[in-house]
Amino acid sequence: MKTIIKITILLIMIFAETYAQSMTSDEIIRKVNDLMNQKSVYAKVRMTIVTTSGKKRVFEYESWSKNAGEKNLIRYTLPARIRGQAILMLNNADDIWAYFPRTGRVRKLASHAKRQKMQGSDFSYEDMGSGNAFIDEFNSRKLNDEKIEGTDCYKVELLRKEKSTSQYSRVVCYVSKENFLPIVIDYYGDKNPDLWVKRMVQKDIRIIDEIPTAMKIVMYNKKDNTKTVIEMISVKYNLEISDKMFSERSLSK
Amino acid sequence: MRLKNTLLIIFALTSALSAQVDITGYYEPQLLGVKIENQFYQLFSNKLRIDLEMNSSENITFKANFDYITYHGYTSWDIKKFLPDNILNEVPDFVVQGVPVNPYQWEFKDRQFLDNAFVKVRFSKFDLTAGKQQISLGTGYVWNPTDVFNRKDVMDPTYEQPGHNALRIDLPLSDKSQIMGLYAPTDKWDSPDLIVKVKSRAGHFDVSLLAIQKQWKFTDARILDFINNKFYQLPVRRRITGFDFAGEIFGLGVWGEFAENHLQIKNSVWLDYEQQLAFSSENNQFEPMAINKQYFEWVFGLDYTFRSQTYIMAEFYQNNSAETDYHNYRFNNWMQYMMAETKTITRNQCYMMIQHPVNDFMTASVSGLYSFSDNSYAVFPTLAYNIFENMDLTLIGNLYFGKKGTAYSENMGSGFLARARVYF
Repeated sequence: MKTIIKITILLIMIFAETYAQSMTSDEIIRKVNDLMNQKSVYAKVRMTIVTTSGKKRVFEYESWSKNAGEKNLIRYTLPARIRGQAILMLNNADDIWAYFPRTGRVRKLASHAKRQKMQGSDFSYEDMGSGNAFIDEFNSRKLNDEKIEGTDCYKVELLRKEKSTSQYSRVVCYVSKENFLPIVIDYYGDKNPDLWVKRMVQKDIRIIDEIPTAMKIVMYNKKDNTKTVIEMISVKYNLEISDKMFSERSLSK
Repeated sequence: MRLKNTLLIIFALTSALSAQVDITGYYEPQLLGVKIENQFYQLFSNKLRIDLEMNSSENITFKANFDYITYHGYTSWDIKKFLPDNILNEVPDFVVQGVPVNPYQWEFKDRQFLDNAFVKVRFSKFDLTAGKQQISLGTGYVWNPTDVFNRKDVMDPTYEQPGHNALRIDLPLSDKSQIMGLYAPTDKWDSPDLIVKVKSRAGHFDVSLLAIQKQWKFTDARILDFINNKFYQLPVRRRITGFDFAGEIFGLGVWGEFAENHLQIKNSVWLDYEQQLAFSSENNQFEPMAINKQYFEWVFGLDYTFRSQTYIMAEFYQNNSAETDYHNYRFNNWMQYMMAETKTITRNQCYMMIQHPVNDFMTASVSGLYSFSDNSYAVFPTLAYNIFENMDLTLIGNLYFGKKGTAYSENMGSGFLARARVYF
């Protein structure tokens, strides 16, 4: 009996390994997408911009996300000069509103605003999560597996679709075989499609509410020779977040 | 003494409430330099703004802003220096006890005031805001035809606007639509300022319909009330119906506003005005102001962010009541423009801006105004630098190139504005 169980487990493992190896790029990216776009997420985040000369700027914000990243709200809490500013992104960031507490104005922004830097950081609003952007805006292609940052990874190339509004011509993801978290993402611009302009590295992976979560994300900007570090102060998944949270009324709260 | 009292009040308030109240704000020193007729003038100002916010419960928020501003340097500007020669012929001479006086001075006096002080209560179905609050209407970046409470500074359209005393209700109808109603009392109980705005989402567009009633005033700067040192102001009831929208077409950001204006002037008020004018113009034979009782204004704007992060914007504004030929601009048109009673003096104009981040902390931009009606234009190069964590530096140049007498003429005086802002 024990032998049968052992053989069964071995077969399952072999099958799982074979299945994992035979996964297509689309399947991998869909897994990445599902992992990065949980049902609902609350996070309190510290973002530090570091320039070439070592100058630093520290921001803190809270973010709420629902419907697998389809609805997003970001509200800055620090520093004082931008405290209360908020960004609401609906329909996978196709609809964006910005709230400026100093003028009390809510401004509807077009989707091209996603290309703008988030408070001068190396993250654009597009990088911060445009819902299903990896699936909707790019075609995927599987490259040879690689080990990066000490992790065995699938290497998947994403090529911008013709009608995409993404600022990146190409994105290369190094996806952990263990948990499908993208350990490294390289972003390529239009000028030189062979040299990445930005590299995002996810570090300090912890399991929170059974979900692998990077507690530290570093975005390196080769063009400007700067980097931005995002540290998770607090993360909670699968909370009950009311739809009212993602409204203009809530934006100006 | 007033300053001492004010500081005492702030100290008492902040001490009493510091355990519960968030106290933020900024200090803003500013230098404005302008060259007019080969003379260079400087105006320094210091602004201290204290913002108080208290959430007494999850549903009740109290907010207030206190501003204290001091002015130094050239604090008394002669408005006549900005006006073309042909207009100066319309400006009456005033003599008091045989001594000529010039009431056309723009005085910058030290000020301390409660800019905003309001309480916002969030009920389950609606929000109620009562007190002195910012009222921001319209989707335009530089011009907002539907915003009868504010006029933006073309050099810095995103600068905060003053608070207005009002009672406001925001009632969401669904996740895509809402109604806003606003009541602002005036000096007469039966003629308050009123706004009803219905906003909804259609596709990727936000669309609003508005109906506004506002007690308005048109200044006739040829009539001076010597006792109160004020120009005559003709009271008018202004009614606006209009709409605004903001969205996206073919990847471009688009927005627009339309306002149909109807002005009502009581016969008795007009007769009183004509009498005052006749009395004041004994030797001058002044004509009454020409007031267009029905006119429209509209704005249309486009913007785009390139992959290089360069941002461009253009906004066109037409004010149907303004003149198309600058030879027809009158003295009162200029005064009403300077006193923010009209948004422009010229009928058709556009604003353009190109902006690019120089690095993570610095943004350079050039914006410009061009009047299609009188071919005058102005350019505003701007540098915004976040020099330290909570300190911003802003440098704005202003260069006017129009012919004398035009909207953006050299008479406006070219110069610069240097501003630091330290947040706390």
